[in-house]
Amino acid sequence: MQHARGFPDSGGRFPWRRGALISLTLILVAGTAGSALLLQARDNPPDRIPSYVAWTPETIAAASRGDAFRGMLLAKRCDHCHGAEGFSAEAYIPNLAGMDKLAILKQLEDFRSHKRLSRVMNPIAESLSTRDVSDVVAYYAKLPAFADPQDNRIFPQSRPDPAHAASASRLVSFGDGERGIPPCQACHGPVAYRPGVPSLETQNAVYVLNQLEAFASQARANDINMPMRTIAGLLTDDERHAIADYYGSGRGLEPASSTVPK
Amino acid sequence: MNWRKLRTFLLTVLVLCLIPATRYYQIDVPLVRFLQGSRHVDPLLLHLSGEFVENNLGTEQEPDGSVTVRMIAQQYLFIPHCILVPAGVPVHLRITSADAVHSLTFNGTDYAVKVLPGTISEAQLQFPRPGEYPTPCREFCGAGHYAMRSELKVVPRDQFPTLRPEERGNCAAR
Repeated sequence: MQHARGFPDSGGRFPWRRGALISLTLILVAGTAGSALLLQARDNPPDRIPSYVAWTPETIAAASRGDAFRGMLLAKRCDHCHGAEGFSAEAYIPNLAGMDKLAILKQLEDFRSHKRLSRVMNPIAESLSTRDVSDVVAYYAKLPAFADPQDNRIFPQSRPDPAHAASASRLVSFGDGERGIPPCQACHGPVAYRPGVPSLETQNAVYVLNQLEAFASQARANDINMPMRTIAGLLTDDERHAIADYYGSGRGLEPASSTVPK
Repeated sequence: MNWRKLRTFLLTVLVLCLIPATRYYQIDVPLVRFLQGSRHVDPLLLHLSGEFVENNLGTEQEPDGSVTVRMIAQQYLFIPHCILVPAGVPVHLRITSADAVHSLTFNGTDYAVKVLPGTISEAQLQFPRPGEYPTPCREFCGAGHYAMRSELKVVPRDQFPTLRPEERGNCAAR
């Protein structure tokens, strides 16, 4: 076969072509490898991930398919602290009765992955399977939040003084537009909810206060896109106490006022 | 071809051109995406990976002297809550939404950036005068919309590099 034209071998009309092609390929390969190495060498700080939970349809389906009866049996372990009816006897332990499914699921997942730290809850959450979590969540979401005198709950705690309550009522219903603090009830209910946000209407005051302070000091940092760390940091110490007392005294269950309190 | 047919043809072409014009930000042309870099993000997965993880938000100094600001708009907050930029320097804003449609408005300036879930909104801004600009949301986004408001602090250009990196990124951090 004669190579008169076209792509010749070294004996044809363009003896330099093959060498050029090979060297060009080598340069391209070396350049690609070198730039890839350089990109890897750029030391980016590791991503800080607040929580591995994302509100994808799969997560919401997993939270919704629980078996509440099996959850009731599993929740016998939770009764000792969270109460047989989902209302705890200790002020620093949260009430879980009627809590949103996604809210409990997210906290259990975060306890399991150590994104939220608690000496008690981390090992408990680690011992639960994915199915157990769905079932427990379904059980607590079904528990009613009405008052039961037989229970040793401490839930509606004594009402704070009116001045204290007025500042909390303003923040819960209207927020503070000047400082960019949104109203609590726009996410925590009853006006509107966001996925994974707990309702606070039947929550203990000390628990709410502890969490607000933990968010403000970044000790708790498992809120997705850090809304609570931001808001709790903007609140003053008095306001955090006032909001905690507002929810702890059961005022969140009453119909919200439609006017700004004096 | 008589003029009626021509008119019908031209109007049809006009309408067909106007439909994509109202939805231009949703059009996904692979060549444009390749040239500009993808502007699509999953609003549900912002916190897990990519450029909107929480330690990457805020102001970042670029080698050419300009700054890049990355933000997330979420019901009912802009995150970071307070951003700090130097005066008289090109500011490249990249913002996306985690849930609803928002709009970041810089009071006292002409800038308003629409923020859509699933898309990174980009804007080239410049703030000639130091000062504090409130940045409210101007697109009704839900029950707490009226309180959705953050702050932009513009500091003198020579003061900006002296700030600590964490102060530079997010002046809401204490």
